[in-house]
Amino acid sequence: MTVEPVSPDQYCADLIENLNQISRIVKTAGDIDACLNELIQAIRNIFIFDNVVLYLVQEDKLLEPRYARAIGRGRSSETDLAWGEAIANESLTKNEIIIKRDIDGDYTINRMRLRYFIGLPLSSNNERLGSLVFVRYGGPPYQSEQIQLIKQVATHFIYFLSKLNTNQKINKLEHELRLKRLQDDFVATISHELRTPLGFIKGYTTTLLREDTKWDNVTRREFLIIIDEETDRLCELIDNLLDSSRLQSGTLRMEFQQMKLGTIVKDICTRAQSFDENQEIELEINNPDLQVQVDPTRIAQVIENLLSNARKYAPGSKVMIALDKEKNHAHISVIDNGPGIDPDHLDHIFNRFYRVPNNTSSVRGTGLGLFICRRIIDAHDGEIYAESTPGEGSTFHIRLRLDQTNDQKTEQISVYGGEECPSKFL
Amino acid sequence: MPIQILVVDDEPKYVRLMEANLLTEGYDILRAYDGQKAVEIVAENQPDLVLLDVMMPFLDGLSACGRIREFSNVPIIMVTAKGEERDRVRGLDVGADDYIVKPYSAIELLARVRAVLRRADTADSASFQQSIFNHENLRIDFTKAEVYKDDKMVFLSATEYRLLLQFVQNQGEILSSEDLLMNVWGDEYRSDKEILWVSISRLRHKLEDDPRNPQHIVTRSGLGYTMP
Repeated sequence: MTVEPVSPDQYCADLIENLNQISRIVKTAGDIDACLNELIQAIRNIFIFDNVVLYLVQEDKLLEPRYARAIGRGRSSETDLAWGEAIANESLTKNEIIIKRDIDGDYTINRMRLRYFIGLPLSSNNERLGSLVFVRYGGPPYQSEQIQLIKQVATHFIYFLSKLNTNQKINKLEHELRLKRLQDDFVATISHELRTPLGFIKGYTTTLLREDTKWDNVTRREFLIIIDEETDRLCELIDNLLDSSRLQSGTLRMEFQQMKLGTIVKDICTRAQSFDENQEIELEINNPDLQVQVDPTRIAQVIENLLSNARKYAPGSKVMIALDKEKNHAHISVIDNGPGIDPDHLDHIFNRFYRVPNNTSSVRGTGLGLFICRRIIDAHDGEIYAESTPGEGSTFHIRLRLDQTNDQKTEQISVYGGEECPSKFL
Repeated sequence: MPIQILVVDDEPKYVRLMEANLLTEGYDILRAYDGQKAVEIVAENQPDLVLLDVMMPFLDGLSACGRIREFSNVPIIMVTAKGEERDRVRGLDVGADDYIVKPYSAIELLARVRAVLRRADTADSASFQQSIFNHENLRIDFTKAEVYKDDKMVFLSATEYRLLLQFVQNQGEILSSEDLLMNVWGDEYRSDKEILWVSISRLRHKLEDDPRNPQHIVTRSGLGYTMP
């Protein structure tokens, strides 16, 4: 096979084209792997090498290999990343290009024993980012114009790494900002939520205490009922705050018992309807005897929270609670025909402090309810999620593992009973 | 004719609370449960006072206050669950005459209502020897309690009008912040300088060609304010 010699003009044109391509790659690539995968092909056209390893400075300031490719001779050494580490460290420490030749035995028998290394420091604005190390087996040694060329490539790659670092820093800051905003919103919301019942209690109490006015019995009772209701609401809010805090710190005590889920669901419905007789609740219990290991108080809290949400966010809508068996799981669905939840928010509604923006501002809420639900269901090794079609309604699904234990276990638990019941801290 | 007060809150229990207390004082009560309705009722019924909650659906209290100020100088008390300074200032900034922070006591509510009504009443009945007062491009018609700038009528709230009258009545004299607060708002507001700053700023924006270089209400640093 004969190879046509390349004219100097053609060589220059190819070189420029390759450098342009390298420049394009670093500008458009999204991550390190994609960037280097493409870059290596382009570099190989202008710079002969067999192996390449990228070492990056980690948070602990140590160099760790992040990417390695063996594409020429010595492909088998791809997994051996130790060979470049000393050179990577040296080039980064000195912040200069390091060129080394390494002979491991008689290289006239095996050319692989003769290795030419080049280590390029990757630093930007005094920030040490890492090193790029190339190796060539059996020569030829690196020529000065090749060294200049690969230095240029390294400069392009530094630009890419800096861009990536900046993006990561921006993302981190944005994430922190989002968290801070959520917390600020939370403080504002909690402040409002605490002041609202307090405002009623203070207002109606001082109204009843007015010395210049006498209230008739009916009015006095009306005001006392409001004070009573708002005190309950305040207690509920404080309980939610405490639960949320305990769930976050992992100190909420769970008392598991073997229970029939159908019984729990029925009890909750009865309670909910006595609380608000206008809320129409339809029960569809297809498997009333489904046994689960649950903390009944906490499971009731979850379902009551979903019913309360339906009252608040889907006012006037009938709510259906269905209980079914699905393989080895119990499936509870809480379905309303309310305005539904925008798909953009559906993934976030179980997050702590999250409230759907622009939701009717008159609806009281803290962004804690669904977070508490999720953490309680997590503690049961279960699953909770929501589906919704705006304008049609929402369905909240809960899946709990059915109790597979035998009767002996049931007895054992009932012997403990009450406070002594096997318990678990979240 | 009894004094008519519009109470606005999206929480019916708050409307009921204000209504129950105000009725004992002989006031007539109008009710609204959102900002939009409040604006409509003010336009239609011209109440003597509005108690306006801040956080409401459809049109919040601050926006409703701004809308009302486009056509009426009815005294407005903002009722807010937020006690932070910036929220209070925002209320005054959109033209409210006073604010009350939840939780409040029944007595506090009634006292605020009485104070604001007293201010409005004095503003309406302020008597002057002349019926028209001119100051550069400003003209005040005392008989109608109307203020004109370059012959265009300017809407002032009752408090703003009363504050302006202080300067007119004492033209050429320096009025201290304490004097203005006591004369316009009442003794209990003597140290509430923030309410004065916001009101002066609003007056200047309405009356001055360049509020940063005022000609009608001039600051005398460390002493107070004057109308030269």
